[in-house]
Amino acid sequence: MSNISLMSTAVFVAVTILLSMKQKLGLEKEIIIGTIRSAVQLLFVGYVLHFVFDAENPLFIVLIIAVMILVASWNVSSRARDIPGIRLRIALALCCTEAVTMALLLTLGIVEATPQFIVPISGITIGSSMIVAGLFLNSMKREMEAARGEIEALLALGATSKQAIQNSIKRSIRSGMIPTLDGMKTTGLVQLPGMMTGMIAAGADPIEAVRYQILIMFVLSSAAALTAMLLGLLSAPLWFTKDGRLRSTGE
Amino acid sequence: MSIQLSLQGIGKKRHGESPAYLFREITAEVRSGQRIVLLGTSGQGKTTLLRILSRLEKPDEGTLSLNGRPFLEWKPQEWRRRVCYVAQQPVMLTGTVEANLRAVSELHGAAFDKRLAEECMAALGLESLDWSKQAADLSGGEKQRTALVRALLLQSEVLLLDEVTASLDPASKRAAERLLSDWAQKRGTALIWITHDLDQAAQVSDFIWFMDEGRLLETAPAEEFFREPSTRQARSFIRRTDSEGSLL
Repeated sequence: MSNISLMSTAVFVAVTILLSMKQKLGLEKEIIIGTIRSAVQLLFVGYVLHFVFDAENPLFIVLIIAVMILVASWNVSSRARDIPGIRLRIALALCCTEAVTMALLLTLGIVEATPQFIVPISGITIGSSMIVAGLFLNSMKREMEAARGEIEALLALGATSKQAIQNSIKRSIRSGMIPTLDGMKTTGLVQLPGMMTGMIAAGADPIEAVRYQILIMFVLSSAAALTAMLLGLLSAPLWFTKDGRLRSTGE
Repeated sequence: MSIQLSLQGIGKKRHGESPAYLFREITAEVRSGQRIVLLGTSGQGKTTLLRILSRLEKPDEGTLSLNGRPFLEWKPQEWRRRVCYVAQQPVMLTGTVEANLRAVSELHGAAFDKRLAEECMAALGLESLDWSKQAADLSGGEKQRTALVRALLLQSEVLLLDEVTASLDPASKRAAERLLSDWAQKRGTALIWITHDLDQAAQVSDFIWFMDEGRLLETAPAEEFFREPSTRQARSFIRRTDSEGSLL
């Protein structure tokens, strides 16, 4: 894509701003900030990746993945600020998901052990897992209100905290995973996934692009399952106080 | 009768409200097989006190002990196996009536005492209830009785009953009173029962705890309490309740 073509994409931003002004949505400032941030962040990442791919030093790959996990954990934990220790659990769940996914991809020889494969696939995996973790936490917060009676009824019958919260965790894992599974069912029919579209636009053979997209879809489904289940397991004790009571809002 | 549960200086603060304490300095003892009714007007913190006794809430002051061991030395689940709270609003667990009745045995890896469950259900007038029915589809009274049987099957040492007959018809109410009194007598289970029905209180208790002004003002044998309450607040409470028929 030439620089002129790239600059011409600003016309879409202009359309958005004009529509916002016409409808008096008051979103112009948000749109401008979003536009500048996404452009700067993506250009910055582009240069960083360029440097990393040239340097061929595994430490840089580890560093990039660590930053991705850190930012993702920070972002998701803002949904459950009142649960102490949740950020660490999210980071651990994302780390494990990334480690298991990459270990399988590399040991089975599905992708080459080069930064060109590892970094983008890690980004997609961590990004998708971040959304799964966010959905899981949202659902758990709803459960803490809606299923409070059920959880306390079980506690009153002498259940351990793990037994009492088991059903809520299961429902939240399902909530976290369903969008990914729904996406798998409709992919190609409703929308062409971004990575595949990008590859085709960049001149790759559509069949080759589809093969990689299949790989990504399957990786994302296992990543969603891993993240949701690990986070369910790791976060279960956090919904209770040290003396075994169900945590109330702000406690 | 040996002392099972002991409360020493229990206090609970309100959250940002005045007065600062919902109640404080609650000191009392519960003996095995004792049937205690906890009386007081609404808003005295009776439910909160029962929830503290079952460790679903934390006291801000004071300590509890069970069979001579301070509460912090007990694992919460071990404590709650012995001191079981039955809520006023019955919560049915997901699944059938049978799944609810089996919940205790499944939680604790014990054999399900079907005969005992059947006896308790029959004693509460639920002998013809279909156990394969979804518990969520039961009526309010059926849920309350099923929740009560579910709690009884835990065979705890202390039962904390929070208006457990509130949504029952008079006949079912009497049946629940009979079952619980027999249960306490035969098994030595202590009952602490919140009710707003003075007739019921007189019927099912051998001891009364009366709460008012953020304190446990009286702990007296039931007969003595109803004949001659020792505090002005209790006298006024009984007079008011008698004239109204029942409390709000």
